[in-house]
Amino acid sequence: ANMKLIFIFSALIGASLCLETFVGHQVLRIKTKNEEEVKQLQLLESLEHLELDFWINPSAPALPVDVRIPAVSVQSVKAFLESQGIEYSILIEDLQDVLDKEKQEMAESAQRQRSSSSFDFGAYHTLDEINNELDNLVSFHSFVEKIQIGESYEKRPMYVLKFSTGRSNRPAIWLDAGIHSREWVTQASALWIANKIASDYGTDPSITSLLDKMDLFLLPVANPDGFVYTHTSNRMWRKTRSKIPGSICVGVDPNRNWDAGFGGPGASNKPCSDSYHGPSANSEVEVKSVVDFIKNHGNFKAFLTLHSYSQLLMYPYGYKCTRPDDYAELESLGRAAANSIRSLYGTTFQVGTICKTIYQASGGSIDWSYDNGIKYSFAFELRDTGRYGFLLPANQIIPAAKETWLGLKKIMEHVRD
Amino acid sequence: QDIDDVGHKYYLELELEDVLDKGRTVHCTAEVLYPLGSKSSAPDVQVAVQGELRSTEEADKEFYNRIRSLEKELVAENIPDSHGNVPPELEPIHLLAWAASGYVTWQNSTENTKFHLAQVKHVKQVKRPDEDLQFDYLLLLHEMVSQEVIPWEVTVLWHPRSGARVPRDRRQPSH
Repeated sequence: ANMKLIFIFSALIGASLCLETFVGHQVLRIKTKNEEEVKQLQLLESLEHLELDFWINPSAPALPVDVRIPAVSVQSVKAFLESQGIEYSILIEDLQDVLDKEKQEMAESAQRQRSSSSFDFGAYHTLDEINNELDNLVSFHSFVEKIQIGESYEKRPMYVLKFSTGRSNRPAIWLDAGIHSREWVTQASALWIANKIASDYGTDPSITSLLDKMDLFLLPVANPDGFVYTHTSNRMWRKTRSKIPGSICVGVDPNRNWDAGFGGPGASNKPCSDSYHGPSANSEVEVKSVVDFIKNHGNFKAFLTLHSYSQLLMYPYGYKCTRPDDYAELESLGRAAANSIRSLYGTTFQVGTICKTIYQASGGSIDWSYDNGIKYSFAFELRDTGRYGFLLPANQIIPAAKETWLGLKKIMEHVRD
Repeated sequence: QDIDDVGHKYYLELELEDVLDKGRTVHCTAEVLYPLGSKSSAPDVQVAVQGELRSTEEADKEFYNRIRSLEKELVAENIPDSHGNVPPELEPIHLLAWAASGYVTWQNSTENTKFHLAQVKHVKQVKRPDEDLQFDYLLLLHEMVSQEVIPWEVTVLWHPRSGARVPRDRRQPSH
C-alpha cells in the first residue's frame, strides 16, 4: 500500500510539472550593481531559445534576480555573466535533487499522517495489528526500542517496548498487560499508554522527568498465544496454550506459575482448571522469559501488571495472607494512586493486599517480583465491576487507559523520587 | 454472625442503581444466611427495599408485544459480542439473561463463590401456547474465585405481569 501511494504521489507531481525532468538545472541568484546590469539581464530574458525561467525578474538594481537555467544553457549563461562582470551565486546546484527530496519528504509525511492517525486506540485489535503499531511507535520515536525477550509456546515473539533516553542500565520500571488473554482492556490500554508516553516525552513535565531518570519496559501482550486464541476460537480463554502431558486439556494459568508460594492455596493442580498452576514454577515459557529478562537486567525498581476486571489496586501478598514488610508504604502509595484514578471519571478502585482484596492466590507475578527485591510491585484490575466484565465495550478503552495511566504515573513518580 | 449449628448470617446495606435510570439510587437492606455444611442448599435471602423502583410497564408491554409478533422465533448469540457491543433491540434479551443469572447465582452461591454473567452465548425463543414468553439460554457464568467460565443452560419464562421465572437450569461441564 505504501509503494502504491509513493507511485501515485510521484505521478501527481510528475503531472503537475508536465512530466519534465530538471536534472542539471541550476538556480542562480544575480546581484546587479547598477541599471546597466539590469538592462543586460533584461536582454537575457528576451532570448527565448535559452528557456530561462526568472523566479525574480530583473527590475531594479537593489533587488536580486533569481533565475532557473536549463542544463544545456548553464555554462553559456555563466560565461556571459562573468564576461559582463555581473556577480552571481548558485542557489540550487541541481534542481532535480531538490525536487526528489521534496517528493520523498511528502510521501513520508503522508505516510506518517496515515500511520499515526490510522491506529484507533479506542478499538480492540488483533495481535498483528498490535505488533504493527509497536513498530510504528519505534519508527517515530528515537528513544523507543522494540526488544524480543523470548517466544511463546506456539513460537510467537514476545515483544517489549523499551523507553530509554540515556545511559545503559538505568533503574527501570516494568509494566505488562494481557497475561490473562481474555482481559482485552489491558492490552488495549497498554497500547494507549505506550503511545501516550512516546508522544508526550519532551512536552509533559512528568513523563519527561520520569524518562530522564529511569527506563520503562512495557510488555503489552504477555500471553500472545492465548490472545490469538481469544480472537480465533474462544473469547473467554485465560491461560497459555501449552500442551500438558497426560491431559486432554490445554494451558496453564500464567499468573499461578511464578515461583512465589508455587503450588500453594489459590491455585489448582488440575490441568483442566482455569487456575491450573502448571507442572512446575516457570514451566511456561511466557513466564520464564520475563523472569530471565528481569533477573538479567538486575536493576528493576517497580513491577506493575494489568488485569481486568474488578477495579482493584493490589500489592503483595497473594500466596500468604500476611502483610509484606513494606505494607505501610505500599498501602499509602496504593491509596494515592487510587485517588488519582478516581480524580478523572470517579472510577473507584479498592486498595489492599491480593489476599485480603480478591482471594488467596499462589504463584502470582507481583509476589515473585516483591520477594526478588522489587519493592514497588502492584497489580491493577481495571474496569469494570461485572456489568460487562471481560467484554468491556470498546468505547471504554480510552477512559480506562487514561484513568489507569494516572494511577501508574503516581506510582512511577514515587519510584523516581 | 455465626449462628451455631445453623450457618453464617450476613447483614447487608446496599444501594441499588437501575442501569436504565442512572443518577439515583434506592436504599436496600438484606439478610443472607449461608447454611452450614451442605453444598446443595441455596443461601436464605431476605430483602427490604426502601423506596420506589422505576415503573417499567411501558417498556415491558412494548417488548412483550414485539416478541409475540415475531414470525420466526428469535435466535441470537454472543451478547455482548467480543468487543462489548449489544445491538439495541437485543438489550432486553441481555437484561433478562442478567436477571435469570441472578437467580442461578443465588441458587449456587456459597461464601466462597462470586458469580458474574460473562456473556449470553446463545438464546433461542420457544413459542408457547400460553401467555408466557420462553427463552432458552446458554449463559456463560464467570466464577471469580476459581476463575472458571461455566456454561449454563437456563430456561426463562417471562410475562409483564408475572415477571421472570427460571423453571429449569443446568450447569454444563466447563471443558
